[in-house]
Amino acid sequence: MNIKIGQYIQGDSFLHKLDPRIKLVSMILFIVSIFLVPITLDTYNIVAMITLFIISILLVFLSGIPLGKVLQGLKAIVFLMTFTFIIQLFSIQPLGENPLLDLPMNLGLISIPLLILLLVLYFFVKKRIKFKTTWFFIFVVGIFYIQYAVTLIPMNLDGFNYQFLVYPSGLLRAGFIFLRIIAVMVVASLLTFTTSTIELNDGLESLMKPLRYIKVPTYMFSMMISLTLRSIPTLLNETDKIMKAQTSRGADFNESSIGQKIGQIIALLIPVFVISFDRAEDLSNAMEARGYIIGEERTKLDVYKIGFKDYLALFVTSAILITLVVMGIAL
Amino acid sequence: MDIQFKEVGYAYQGFKKQYHALKNINLEIEKEGEFIAIVGQTGSGKSTLVQHLNALMKPTSGTINILGTVLPSKKKIKVNHLRQKVGLVFQFPEYQLFEENILKDVEFGPSNFKETKDHKTEYAKKSLKLVGIDESLYEESPFRISGGQMRRVAIAGILAMNPNILVLDEPTRGLDPQGKDDIMDLFNEIHVQEHKTIIMITHDMDIVAKYAKRVVVLNQGEIVFDGKKDDLFQHEDFHTFHLDYPTHMRMMNHLHETLGIKKKFVKNQDELLSYLKEVFK
Repeated sequence: MNIKIGQYIQGDSFLHKLDPRIKLVSMILFIVSIFLVPITLDTYNIVAMITLFIISILLVFLSGIPLGKVLQGLKAIVFLMTFTFIIQLFSIQPLGENPLLDLPMNLGLISIPLLILLLVLYFFVKKRIKFKTTWFFIFVVGIFYIQYAVTLIPMNLDGFNYQFLVYPSGLLRAGFIFLRIIAVMVVASLLTFTTSTIELNDGLESLMKPLRYIKVPTYMFSMMISLTLRSIPTLLNETDKIMKAQTSRGADFNESSIGQKIGQIIALLIPVFVISFDRAEDLSNAMEARGYIIGEERTKLDVYKIGFKDYLALFVTSAILITLVVMGIAL
Repeated sequence: MDIQFKEVGYAYQGFKKQYHALKNINLEIEKEGEFIAIVGQTGSGKSTLVQHLNALMKPTSGTINILGTVLPSKKKIKVNHLRQKVGLVFQFPEYQLFEENILKDVEFGPSNFKETKDHKTEYAKKSLKLVGIDESLYEESPFRISGGQMRRVAIAGILAMNPNILVLDEPTRGLDPQGKDDIMDLFNEIHVQEHKTIIMITHDMDIVAKYAKRVVVLNQGEIVFDGKKDDLFQHEDFHTFHLDYPTHMRMMNHLHETLGIKKKFVKNQDELLSYLKEVFK
């Protein structure tokens, strides 16, 4: 079993050294800026979007995290991005503009079985190859190509005939949204790449401090978060051990049928449950033995100091935001 | 040879580099009549080694032949049946209990294999008797008995699978002296009566001196010694193995240093006693 919790990668870059509170706030400011750029096809908006996109890519280089690693995190949303892209292409059909691409398409008796065949082939090959993302793109192109290819057959086609029209503005708009999603994802993943869970928790706690005045027990939340994060690796470790112990008793999770699996899951869950209660009790005793009282004022081992680079980060992100707001009002 | 390791290596994939838990292991184990102690420092690869014995882990280099099944194999093969033949008892096995009563829990192991499925109750009762769990407890919840009893039940859960080879990862850890002796006597009895091979990891050199026949010493993932226990304790490089001497030998060494008694190799406390009587006559 190999599950990674959090994706913090150690380093000593500018982003790593930033105060977590400032990092959180700056990130929020930056993401808000990205969303503030209106999706219209005026030159300055396109320039603004591309600039923000380039800044987020530059931030990756600044952080010292390999670009490949960051892009890997984007794989999860490849489907979503492709889907939005295609929807944009189809829905933006402005009048009075010459289409870039005008292809007849058919969805009928010949193309539907072919599409199903392609789908089966897609899932069949997917399990056996490594470059799954590339294969997905080939699949998407394939869907449209089949619909186009059947119209080349010189015969009368029944079913749903339509034109596949790609307009320049549709393409631009789709690209615009594409850039926006990537930029937001990159910035958000950079936060988790460069901030350890402890720092993140500290940052959140101190940002939530004002809530105490309205009697929200923020200290409890932050303790809950840190205890949860702390116990995840321990529990995974214990689960792994129990799994191996039950496998040794013949409950192989890889080689059994669905019916057997249900019984085996119970053999795994109950011991893990028992262990987690044991551990929780031990931990709470250990904490109380060291003087922990819920709600009491506690001091911190790491005291964060806001320095020059923090002000710089805050200044730059606010400047970007303000510029965009002013631009939006003025133009 | 019933279990054979050939140049076995196991490497964990770290973030940037590989960590070698086992390197170049060559080992041969018979199905019958062996009592092997695997010793070594923490982190020397003992646990990793024993998990290879029942195919829980597969070597990243080299091959293992477990009772005729060669691993790793290129084809996808089923390895679950091996676990019936090589029974592995983990550290703190009491955590693996989960059923509503003790008998059912012990039956869980045998019910998973077609070889033992039909006799599960018979085997379960037999092994519970062997570990000394009273019949009145069979219907009791496994979470309501004492820690020592829980461990016995868990061990019975493996014994009920009727394995040819019994592998134990620190079975005495966390037990009191009496509990230790009881459980070791139990394994010794299984070994003597049924000629089953027993392989155990331990840090307790007294147990090694008392029960084991053969000792395998691991150091940083490599076998540095494999042979009879008497040869081990008389080995001239013993200090490089990072091990302790058993109590009677420590006493001998102490007497040698303080009273100047001439050193002699003694196998157990009785031999030490008779030697001392001889010296002071």
